[in-house]
Order: sequence, then structure tokens, then C-alpha cells
Amino acid sequence: MNASRARFNSAVGFLDLARRAWKRSARLRVGAFLVGVVVFMAVLGPHVAPHPSDGWGVVPRNAAERAGKPPCPEFPFGTDNLGRDVLSRVLVGARLALVQITLVVSVSLALGLLVGVCAAYYKGPVEALLNYVAEVFLALPALVVALALRLALGQGLHIVVASLILSWWPWYARSSYIYARAVVEMEYVLLARLAGVPARTVLFRHVLANVAPPVLVQAITDLGSVLLEASAINFLGIGLPPDAPDWGVIVQNGFRYIVSMPWVSMFPGAFILITALGFSLVGDSLREELDPKMRRRWKLWF
Amino acid sequence: MSLNYLVKRLAWSAAVLVGVTVFSYVVIVLSPGDPAVKWAGNPRGPGAAKAIEEARKELGLDLPLHLQVLNFLKMVFTGNLGYSIAYRQPVFAVLVRNLTATLELLFAAYLIGVPLGSLLGVAASLQRGRSVDGFLQTLGLALASAPSFWLGMAIFGALFSAGFPAYGRVSTGLALMTGFQAITGFYLLDSLLQLNIPLFIDALARLLPPALAVAAYPTGLCLRLSRALVADALLEEYVRAAVAWGVKRRIVVWKYAFRAALPGLVQVAGTAFAYSLIDAMVVEYVFGREGLGRLLFDAIAFSDFKLATGLLVLVAAFYLVVNTLADIAQAVIDPRVKL
Repeated sequence: MNASRARFNSAVGFLDLARRAWKRSARLRVGAFLVGVVVFMAVLGPHVAPHPSDGWGVVPRNAAERAGKPPCPEFPFGTDNLGRDVLSRVLVGARLALVQITLVVSVSLALGLLVGVCAAYYKGPVEALLNYVAEVFLALPALVVALALRLALGQGLHIVVASLILSWWPWYARSSYIYARAVVEMEYVLLARLAGVPARTVLFRHVLANVAPPVLVQAITDLGSVLLEASAINFLGIGLPPDAPDWGVIVQNGFRYIVSMPWVSMFPGAFILITALGFSLVGDSLREELDPKMRRRWKLWF
Repeated sequence: MSLNYLVKRLAWSAAVLVGVTVFSYVVIVLSPGDPAVKWAGNPRGPGAAKAIEEARKELGLDLPLHLQVLNFLKMVFTGNLGYSIAYRQPVFAVLVRNLTATLELLFAAYLIGVPLGSLLGVAASLQRGRSVDGFLQTLGLALASAPSFWLGMAIFGALFSAGFPAYGRVSTGLALMTGFQAITGFYLLDSLLQLNIPLFIDALARLLPPALAVAAYPTGLCLRLSRALVADALLEEYVRAAVAWGVKRRIVVWKYAFRAALPGLVQVAGTAFAYSLIDAMVVEYVFGREGLGRLLFDAIAFSDFKLATGLLVLVAAFYLVVNTLADIAQAVIDPRVKL
């Protein structure tokens, strides 16, 4: 093994992994570009949007004369039935998209890692109970949980985020449990325990640090999948209110006008696709880099 | 596969269903909005307190929580999910009636998506490292990353502009004229049973566009998965040996390499099938089809929390059933599998 190849259980290790993957994989570069575009939009969007108030969902005063314009130099993505500039809405919406997916993935990642590692470390009844709870939440679909929460709590960002967290954390619990089961049998864990290191330290420093890398990489791919689910919830009007600057909601705004003004729905939907694709490309190529089995060069003898 | 495995697997699924049922009851009862107020119809005025009290008694909400949960469990396991406000019918009947419509769409989507994806994946793995492979893999990712409602809207809009409104499940006029009767709820099957060929064609033409939108995800998934698994299998010694023995290329690819990828493919496609029920519900809404997707809106419009709870239990149960079947199928295909 190459000695300079640091293990990926620290920030330095992660950067090293990313650098190697960057050199090797064109797909990572494309994915990083797509994600970069969206992050750029999220940071600058509200400031560079040509019609900022349209972006936040306010109906302009001259709505009647601006309504339903196809894409043209003044409105590159056209306007919707209420005369709002679709480009501004898409630009402002990038921020909310990233907020939703980072909230969901970070909370469920923390929860899932903790549960998975604990289940593997404390064997016996704790393991059985945690696995059972994870399995129950695995069977609950985010969209229908969102419906139940919507009936109980009304509309809002909390509905989308809570329902997605409830249905995403068990995935991380399950995969970190599978990795952790191998890690807790390692000799360095046993030695640490024999040396009298407290269980908390063993859990975090020895087990968690060695379980996290593949799960973290999975989480990058999941950022895209979470966006798809969140958009579906918002599209159906279960999550965010009707004029919120969210891509799913904008697609819904154009739903009744899909034949007469398709641009209202098609542009924000394309951005959902681009974002999800970008995260999948990045996550996929990092996973290939992390897994030595997938890294081999293909021998084209067949 | 042993009987022992089967019993263990089924017992585990039943236990998980109990957990799901408890959750779906508790999440509604413990949340701030009071179901009794909604059941009483948001009453105001002097008689309100009495009406809410009565509703509370009617719903069994005056009992201690553990008794309520036990009652609900008893109801669910006897197939009784309560009474829907929106439909003024038992929730169970409403769910079953709409489930067949959604299942028809889902089956059609997977009958398109899984073979197509596997075929493309095998093609990509035979070209691995070349540009065709890169293109197909990116296509797979893009298909799996496309929002299904957006794809559905694009297909619907394009077809509408071309003169075919793919709206609903069948043309109502045609159904009335030909005297169509729903027997099983799967309209394709029903129309064939009644030898109603025009209606069969109509139902098929209205089924395919939404099925394509739902099929995007399984196609992408199977493409990527079979590409990875078959490419791995092609490097195995037994494939090399088969090639050396002069076995035909077609047989090597399908009978040796693809056969090795089959258990993994069944497992992943099974799980994806269960989750795609949600996709199918969303796409149904886009195409204005009857089905579970419509119930989401009725539940919101009427604050019908019984329907929402029932839907939650149904979708989770569907997931459990499909996953159990996929696990059993995998145990049959791959004898090494143990619980």
C-alpha cells in the first residue's frame, strides 16, 4: 500500500480521497460542476435575480400584461400565469432546495450513525431493539408520513424536513450497523476496551471514525434522492405553502398550464434533475474511489 | 430454503407491521391538532364543547393511550381501519378499491423498466471502459434522478399537444357505450375478460404514458446495477473457463454472467418496487387517474385523518409484503441466504 495514501477518517483523508478521484474521474468533475452551479445560485440567487419580488412569490402589479410570456430576452425562462418571472423564482428557490436537503441529510446521518454504531457495539437486547425500530421506520414512506403530519400540524418547511428525516435515518442506521459489526470485532477495539478506555471514547474515536467514510459518501448521493422526494412532497402541496420559492412548488404552479405554458414547470423541474444528477455523479465516483474492488481497471479480454 | 427461514421471516414482518401501526396511530393522536375537533367538524358556539366531547367518545380518544393503541391494533389486524369522512365508507374498502388502480400502473412500469434497464446494463458491461459504457451509465443516473412528476407532466403535455389527452384510466364514454364492468379492478384484465377489445386498447393507451414516467427510476436503477454486477461476473474464472471451452457468447453472457447478477437484481428491484408505489401515486395525480394518489388530496381536503392513517398502514404493509416476497425469492434463487 502507498504510505502517503492517508485513510479517510479525517478531513485531510477526505480531501486526499477527493483529490485522487478528481484526477481519475471525469464524472466527478461534471458532477462537481453541476453541484457548484446550484450552490452558486443558492448563494447569489436572490441578489442577482432580475425580479427579486417575483422570486419570493409576490404577484407583480402589472400582472395582466406580463402573464404567460414565453421565454424571451427580458424573461429568459418566461413568466407564469400570474406574471411572475420564472427565472427569478428558480434562482431564489435554489437556496430553499439546499436548505431542505442539508437539514434532512445531516440530521438523519447523525441519528443513523449513532443508532447503527450503538446497535453493533452494545450487543444483545439493545441491538435487537434498535434494529427493530430502524426496520419500522424503514417501512414508512416519507410522502404519507408527510400527509399525516400535514393533517396534524398544517403546512410548512417543518413538515417536509420532519417526514424526510423520519424515513431517511434508518438507511444510515442500517448501513452503519453493517459496517460497524465488522469494525467492533477488530483487535484495536478490543485492545482499547482492555486498556480501560471509556465506552464513549471507544464508540466515537475507534468505531465511528472507521464506520463513517462509506456512509458519508452514501449521504452525498442521497442529497439528490432527498431533493427528489422533497420536491414530490412540495409538488403535491403537502409540504410548503402554494407560493413558497421552492422548485417543487413552482412546478405545481405550472401544473394547470402544462399545455399552454410548459416553461413554468419544465425549467424548475430541470433544475431538480440537474441537482440530483450532480450529487449522484459526485457520490458515485467517490464511492468508486473508496472501494478498491471497484477501482480496478477493466481488462477488456472478453 | 427451509421452513424455519420462512416462519422467521414472516414473524419478523408481522412484528414490524405492529410497530408501523403503533407509529401511525400515535403520530396523529399525539400531535397538537385535535382529531376530535375535526371529527366534530370544527364546531363553534355554545354546544361546541359537548360536540367535541361526544366526538372524543365516539373515536375512543377518552381512553388511556395504551388502550387506544391496543384497540387500533386489534382493528388493523381484523381488517378494519375505521370510517372515512371523505368517502362516508369504511377506509379499508376505499383503500382496496384504489389500490388495484395504482398496482396496475406499477406493474406496467416495472414490466417496462426492469427488462429494459437490465438489457441496457448488460450491453454497457460488454462495452465497459468504452464511450458507450460511459454514456449508458450517465443515462442511467439521469433516469434515476429525474423527478417522476416532472417527467409525467412533460409526457402528458407532449401527448396533449399531439392530440391525445392521456387523462384518466379509460374513456368514460367508451366504457358506457360498450357496457364495461370493473370486476378485478385491473382494467386491462377486466376488458380482456369481457372481450372488450376497443376498451382494452383505450386503457392500454392511457396506461402506457404514466407507466413510462414511473418506469424511469427502475430503468436507471437496473441499468446501473446490472452493469456493475455483470461486469464483475465477467471477470470470474468460470466465465473465462466457459469462453475457453468455446461456449457460445450469448450463452456465456446470459446463462453464466447474468445468472450471477440475478439475486442482487431481484433484491434491489424488489425494494425499489415497494418504494415506487409512492412514485406511482404522484404520477397518477399528474395524469388524473383514479387511485391512491387521489386519496392524498381527499384526505387533506376533508381533514380525513382516518384515511391518512389507513394509507400509512397500507403503504407500509405493501412495502413489508413486497420485501418479504423479494427475500423469499432471493432465498430460492440463492441457497446461501440465511436469516
